[in-house]
Amino acid sequence: MMLLSRVARATLAAAFGALLALPAVAAQPGAAFPEVPTPYLPSTTVAVEEILRLADVKPGDLVVDLGSGDGRIPIAAARYFGARGYGVDIDGKLVAEANENARQAGVADRVRFEQKDVFQTDISNASVVTLYLLSGLVNRLQPKLLKEMKPGARIIAHDYPFEGWTADRTVNISKTYYLYVVPAQAGGRWRLATQLPEGERIFDLDIKQDRQKVSGGARVQGGFLPLFDAQLAGDRLRFVLVDEQRALHFEGRVNGSLLEGSVRMGIGNAEVTRPWRATRVLGAGDEG
Amino acid sequence: MRAALATLLVAASGMLAAADFPYDVPYVPTPPPVVDELLRLADVKADDYVMDLGCGDGRIVIAAAKKFGARGLGIDLDEDLLVEARANAEAAGVTDKVSFARQDLFKTDLSPATVITMYLLPSVNRRLKPELLKLKPGTRIVSHDFDLEDWQPDAKSTIRKNAFLWIVPAPVAGVWRITTEAGPNLPAHSYEVEVRQKYQEIDGHVRGQRVSAGLWQPRLEGDKIAFVIVDSQNRIGESAPAGSPPEASLYFDGRVEGDAMAGIVRRDVGNARTAARWRAERVKS
Repeated sequence: MMLLSRVARATLAAAFGALLALPAVAAQPGAAFPEVPTPYLPSTTVAVEEILRLADVKPGDLVVDLGSGDGRIPIAAARYFGARGYGVDIDGKLVAEANENARQAGVADRVRFEQKDVFQTDISNASVVTLYLLSGLVNRLQPKLLKEMKPGARIIAHDYPFEGWTADRTVNISKTYYLYVVPAQAGGRWRLATQLPEGERIFDLDIKQDRQKVSGGARVQGGFLPLFDAQLAGDRLRFVLVDEQRALHFEGRVNGSLLEGSVRMGIGNAEVTRPWRATRVLGAGDEG
Repeated sequence: MRAALATLLVAASGMLAAADFPYDVPYVPTPPPVVDELLRLADVKADDYVMDLGCGDGRIVIAAAKKFGARGLGIDLDEDLLVEARANAEAAGVTDKVSFARQDLFKTDLSPATVITMYLLPSVNRRLKPELLKLKPGTRIVSHDFDLEDWQPDAKSTIRKNAFLWIVPAPVAGVWRITTEAGPNLPAHSYEVEVRQKYQEIDGHVRGQRVSAGLWQPRLEGDKIAFVIVDSQNRIGESAPAGSPPEASLYFDGRVEGDAMAGIVRRDVGNARTAARWRAERVKS
């Protein structure tokens, strides 16, 4: 029972979730493992705090808890950080309890709970999503979260991480908490132009992306410069190109088919910063 | 900038015949982007004293002086290169900040350095490591290309070549008695903690009836230490949510000075966060 005892709240009859989300699988008896429903075991106070700390919750946030149980996470986010909160749970009794708890905590104007399947929940406005669900459900939710949440939004998973998506940060305090920052779409081909001290430079960037992992290089006249230390955090992209005698540190924001930011070269009092801008030539999915 | 240590045999390098080459480490100038990267990684400031071990033509300490206003000393065994380094310092207008000396690095007092830069060979790094560990906690060491084996770097840059940063850790192994003062919502208490250390990597075990667990998220950076203790009884007397044990995580931040530590301990989150002072003494090494 180790597994069950480590699982806290959350109450999604995961098997129902599977039926709703994956009718093709459900239609073939025996084709899929019957998933263990996530039992309800409330997160401890320590766990609630670690989740909110790791998410770095701010007053402007909307914290959505998928499998919200008695509502303690969105309520704490509202009460201690001034955020707004929303939670869904499949268990109607817990939802009623959560709404009552929000009222008693004096945050009912900012926090709401509904009885709903997680797969049917609108998370497009969530800046923080928290999960304490069994691993099968966590992983089936991954595509939905990546697709519907905005770049820069944070996901905190408790004990059960995503498969194939490396956490941006992992914290171990009694239990393990994983922070994921939803990445923007940076992959593809970009034409980057910048006005360096010696004149205009054009770099044709090829960026490969798998979730927040980016790599690639720039085609320049007479060669190819690899991207060094390339990092994507939400919509913020950074990478370094080294040409001849200096390193060019690019930092910018991805905004659809536009990438804009500043490039820094040199150090100390010899540091120079210039603006740069890139437009998308081909999307990640468009490459033959 | 690598160069010039006479104490080891050239055979260590393998790529040069002993007859051609009188020093342990061949002279290979560090490319300018890497000089920048090393100084950036070391986070050099105007009040730093940078020592470059095997300084060649002096480019690292000269750049540190010229671009950050730091002072520096470059040592090398090759007199011709030192002549060049001094001329370069003069051309850069930093002779008041930097000096160069013909010196064996193993016979050099490294203790005045706040930053050490080096581009040596693995065998030389290995010999140097115990000396580096004796430096004042917080001293930064940056190395181009070669690491310090089982001493993991605190940071690493892979821009074109590998550059590594180490921060000399304070020695913290032993048994410590930690005492927290009472704060708002934070009862005074003392904990006995056994700390184990390998370079900057630390872990610990908290002894006592209330806590029987490790130190969570332990971090040591120079003389700065941070860790979390989950105290199972810290919430007694408060209204913990139903079904939740009365435990609290206590975030410790502090500084180490010899056999003492002191700092701030924090509890709770957001607008409920409280803090109090803590101190610790080493009761057993």
